Amino acid sequence: MIAPGLAAVRRPLRIALAVAAVLPFAVPLLWLVLGALKPPGQFYAAPPTILPDPPSLEAIQSALRLVDAPRLVANSLLLAALNVVGTIASAAVVGFAFATLPARGRQPLFALLVATILVPPAVTLIPQYILFSRLGWVGTYLPLVVPQFLGSAFAIFLFRQWFRSLPANLFESAELDGANPFQQLRYIALPLARPVIAAIAVFAFVGSWNDFLGPLLYLRSPDTFTVSLGLASFQGLYVNQVQQSMALSLLALLPVVAVFALAQRWLIQGVTSGGVRG
Amino acid sequence: MVGDLLFWQTLANTVIYAVGTVVPGLAIGLGLALLLRPIRRGGTLLRSAVFLPAIVSGVATALVWGWILNPRFGLLNAILGLAGIRGPSWLQDPTWAMPALIVIGLWNVGVNVVVYLAALSTVPRDLLEAAALDGAGAVARFRAVTWPALTPITFYLGIVNAIGAFQVFTPTYLLTRGGPDHATLTLALYTYQNAFRFGQIGYASALALGMVVVIVGLTAFQFRVLGRRVAYLGAES
Repeated sequence: MIAPGLAAVRRPLRIALAVAAVLPFAVPLLWLVLGALKPPGQFYAAPPTILPDPPSLEAIQSALRLVDAPRLVANSLLLAALNVVGTIASAAVVGFAFATLPARGRQPLFALLVATILVPPAVTLIPQYILFSRLGWVGTYLPLVVPQFLGSAFAIFLFRQWFRSLPANLFESAELDGANPFQQLRYIALPLARPVIAAIAVFAFVGSWNDFLGPLLYLRSPDTFTVSLGLASFQGLYVNQVQQSMALSLLALLPVVAVFALAQRWLIQGVTSGGVRG
Repeated sequence: MVGDLLFWQTLANTVIYAVGTVVPGLAIGLGLALLLRPIRRGGTLLRSAVFLPAIVSGVATALVWGWILNPRFGLLNAILGLAGIRGPSWLQDPTWAMPALIVIGLWNVGVNVVVYLAALSTVPRDLLEAAALDGAGAVARFRAVTWPALTPITFYLGIVNAIGAFQVFTPTYLLTRGGPDHATLTLALYTYQNAFRFGQIGYASALALGMVVVIVGLTAFQFRVLGRRVAYLGAES
């Protein structure tokens, strides 16, 4: 069989090569997990021991004493949920309009929207900060949430591509039956868009959960901090708490991994169809 | 800004970081995709292991690597010690801090691997088979069929990765604060420091504008110079 890839190299050699190539990616994560589970005395051992002997939850417990983890997680979850809802609610409506409603100037408007995907966030950072500080929003969650409710260009793009790929007569017959565009979206388009909704939800969730610069700029009071900010505080404040920072990193990682594992099969469908179908 | 020596140094640092992550990032991404694609048993595990670092938050990434690169009790110097090498103090060493940051950046190359894996499945099989019938070996098939089919996605990844690399912030902010001796001060961090640490919001805006000019210029350069080499399917080349 001819396929792209290194099929020509002999199989055992290929697998050995692949495992060796994957090690630099896997080892730091394994090291994080092992480190988080070591009893405190073993963490700073030189030369380092590999396996925790015996595995211990002490580092995780002591990390939870250092930071108010339930609050950090609750804050991050709240922000992530609002981001998911806001992104999907706004992008579905706008994407549906771009896909189905005839309007003058629709094409150039859509081109302009897609062009904004390429604008680097670092560029809009300062004007945005000045805008939000004039609005008196610094120190609140509004700068981290409201922009998503106003539409994310990438999500609108994905929705539009998906809706365009649906047969147009679905909407025509619904219109004949007296359904207005909102009803068409709610009862026909959205139920058919589950893969793209799942993909956008995952990206919005992970993007918000992992965001560091946003919370760093806009959040001021520790009781509003997110998991990322809580983790970052280890780098400055608690220099001797490296093991606790590993333990907390491990906890911060779990929701993201879980979301990806759960959504895996939806993801590929949602993203590839958006890119391939015209 | 033009008279600010530190600006030119941050620009040079940022360019070094971008070149150091983007070019090897494309090569490693494609190499891993070619290597991992034909593996059936255990392939999902290997592919997930490569992709996983890409979804680890920037903060957790910085913390883990900060620990691994720790000169006294880090994993890397322990491994080097086994080989009898005394490792440098990586992030605190002006010579090694930037290479260390580049390695941390390359840890996220899993996104490229996933994109290349998807792109490899679109390489036209009939062309590969025709080339094989004509007696083309694996290397010749790659050069004549696979690589040309991958140039559009490589072009896309190159642009997106470069735009991302020019904005690198979290690892330098958390691990080196731009040091030692400004060796890792990047444009995004310098802009942040001016705006939110030194209260120089006007100067920070000028820096941000400088960053736009560099990114737009670079993207235009990529479109002009590299865009010509992209082979689109269906087009005669």
